[in-house]
Amino acid sequence: MASQAHTSQYTYVYKRSMPATIWHLVKRIFAYSMLTLGAFIMIVPFLWMVSTSFKTLEQTFVWPPLLIPPTLRWDNYARMFELVDFGLYTWNTLKIALVVTFGQLLTSSMAGYAFARLRFPGRETLFLIYLATMMIPGVVVLIPNFIVMRNLGLVNTHLGLMLPALTSAFGTFLMRQFFLGFPSELEDAAKLDGCNPLSFYFRILIPLSTPILATLGVMTFQGTWNDFLWPLIMLSSASKRTLQVGLSFMIGPNSTDWPLLMAGSVLTLLPIIVLFFFAQKYFVQSIKMTGLKG
Amino acid sequence: MQGIARGVVVQLVQQTQMPESVIERRGRVNWREAAWGYFFILPGILGVLIFTFAPVFTALGISFTNWSILARPEWVGIDNYVRMATDPVFAKVMRNTFYYTIVSVPLNLVVSLFFAIILNQKIRGLAFFRTAYFLPVISASVAVSMVWMWLLDSNFGLINLGLVRIGLSPVPWLSSPVTAMPAIIIVSVWRSMGWNMIIFLAALQDVPEDLYAAGKIDGAGNWQLFRNITFPLITPAIFFTTITGFIGSFQGFDLVYNMTQGGPARATSVVGYYIWETAFKYSKMGYGSAMAYVLFGIILVITLVQWRVRRRWVFGEE
Repeated sequence: MASQAHTSQYTYVYKRSMPATIWHLVKRIFAYSMLTLGAFIMIVPFLWMVSTSFKTLEQTFVWPPLLIPPTLRWDNYARMFELVDFGLYTWNTLKIALVVTFGQLLTSSMAGYAFARLRFPGRETLFLIYLATMMIPGVVVLIPNFIVMRNLGLVNTHLGLMLPALTSAFGTFLMRQFFLGFPSELEDAAKLDGCNPLSFYFRILIPLSTPILATLGVMTFQGTWNDFLWPLIMLSSASKRTLQVGLSFMIGPNSTDWPLLMAGSVLTLLPIIVLFFFAQKYFVQSIKMTGLKG
Repeated sequence: MQGIARGVVVQLVQQTQMPESVIERRGRVNWREAAWGYFFILPGILGVLIFTFAPVFTALGISFTNWSILARPEWVGIDNYVRMATDPVFAKVMRNTFYYTIVSVPLNLVVSLFFAIILNQKIRGLAFFRTAYFLPVISASVAVSMVWMWLLDSNFGLINLGLVRIGLSPVPWLSSPVTAMPAIIIVSVWRSMGWNMIIFLAALQDVPEDLYAAGKIDGAGNWQLFRNITFPLITPAIFFTTITGFIGSFQGFDLVYNMTQGGPARATSVVGYYIWETAFKYSKMGYGSAMAYVLFGIILVITLVQWRVRRRWVFGEE
C-alpha cells in the first residue's frame, strides 16, 4: 500500500513524460533481474540437493550435469535407512523437539505472566537476572552444563539434552511483553468471578495468547530440530542421536557418496520446510519479534 | 545460542528503562498474590538459574583448573590464561575469527539491505521472493554444509564445472588454505542473509510515506531521499543486525565443523571450533573454559563499544 502512494506521486510529478517512463521501466527490469538472480542463488542449492539425491553415483560425474536424472532412483533414500537407523533418529529428534517446545511454552508463559501481572517481593531483581542471562553467549555455558549433566549421570540421555532447553529467558521476555499489553479489565472481571491466578492463566490468558504461543512455538521447534552443537556433545551412542548429529556422522565414511548424503539432507530438511509452508506467517513474525518490535 | 544473541539486543534496545508496570507499588505485600507469583515463576527461574546464570560463575572457576573430565580438577591459578597468550594456535584461531567476522557481517548487511530495498517496492511475487530468500534461514546447518561441500567440490562440483565452462580455471575452494575461509563466509552469508532481510524489510515498511512525499515536494532526488529519510530511520535495524551478527559469528561452529573440520592447515579454525576441540575432543575443560571466557569478554566489550557509539549514528538515540 505504501508503495502505491509512492508510484502515484512519481507519475504525478513527471506527468508520464517519455523519459520518465523509460527510466521507470529500466528500474523495474533491474529490480526483477536482481531479485530473480538472488532467488536463483538461494534456491539452486536445494534443487541440486534434490536432483542429486535421485542419481546414481556415476551420474554425478557426467558432463553436462544432469538436472533431472532419466530415472528417479529411490535407492539412496532406502540406503539411508539401511546404513543407519534413520527412522530412530527422526523419532528421537521429533520427541526432543516436541518436549522442548511444550516445556518452553509452559515455563515461559508462566514466568511471563508472573513478571507482567503479579506483584511479589524480589520481582525486579529476578527480572534483571533474566535480562542479564540473555547477554551470556551460549559457548560460555556449554562446558559447565556438560559437567553438571555428567555429575547427574545424564550425559548421553535425552533428558540431559532437553533439561537446559526447557526454560528460556528470551521466551519469558517475549511472553511478558505480550502479557503487559493485556487489558487489566479482563483480569479484574475474572477476579470478581472468583478466578484465582491459576484458573485465570489456563482459562483466559492462554486461550487468548495463541498467536504469540504459535510464534514462540515454531521458533523453538525449528531451533531444537536444527540444533547441532549441544546434541553433538551430549550424545555418544548411535541409538541416541538426533537427525543432525546422525547425518553429520555420515559425512566422514561416505565423503564422496553425494547421492546418499543429499538424500539424507533432503530427509532432515523436509519436515521443517513443510512446517514452514504451513506456518509461514509465524516464522516471519518470530524474526520481526526478535527484531525491534518486541 | 541464536536466541541468546537476539536477546542481548532486545534487551539493549528496549530495556534501557523499566516499564512502569514493573515498578512495584509501595505498601504492604499481598502474600496470597506473592505466593502465586512464586509458583508461576518457579519452573522458569530454576532452569535459568541452574543452566545459564550459575554456569557463568562455574565456567570462571573451571578456567582456573586443569581438568580432564575423568580425573579430579586441579587448581592451577591463571596458568590457562598465560598459556593462551603463548599458544600459537589460539592466536591463529583468533585471527581467523576476526577475519570471518569482519568480512561476513558487513557483507551480509550490504547484500540483505540491497534486496530488502528492492523488495520494498511494488513487486509482483513478493511472497515467492521472500520465501526463496528465507528458505536457507530455516535449514539445518548440517544439510546446508553438505550441499555446499558438494557444490564446492574441486573436481565435480557444480560451481567449478560452471567456472571451467565459461573459461575460468577451477578453484580448490575447501581444499586450499587460501580459499577455504572465503568459501565458508559465502555459505554463511547465503544462509543468514534472509534473516537480516526480513528485519530490514519490516523497518523499511515502517518508514512513513508522507516523509517521502514531503521530501519530493522539497525537490529531493532518490539518493537524497534514501540518504536523509530512509537510512536514518532504519539505523536501529542496522544496529540490531550488526550486533547480533557480531555475537553470532564470534561463536561460529556448525559450518566449520561439518565442512572443513577447521582445516586445511587450520585455515578455518575459528575460536568456537577450537574451544569444542579443546574441551570435548581432548577433554581439557579448564583450558576450554578459559578460552570461552576470553571470548565472552571480547563479545561483551564489542557489544558495549557499539552500544556506546550508537548515539553518533542510530536514529532516536541522542
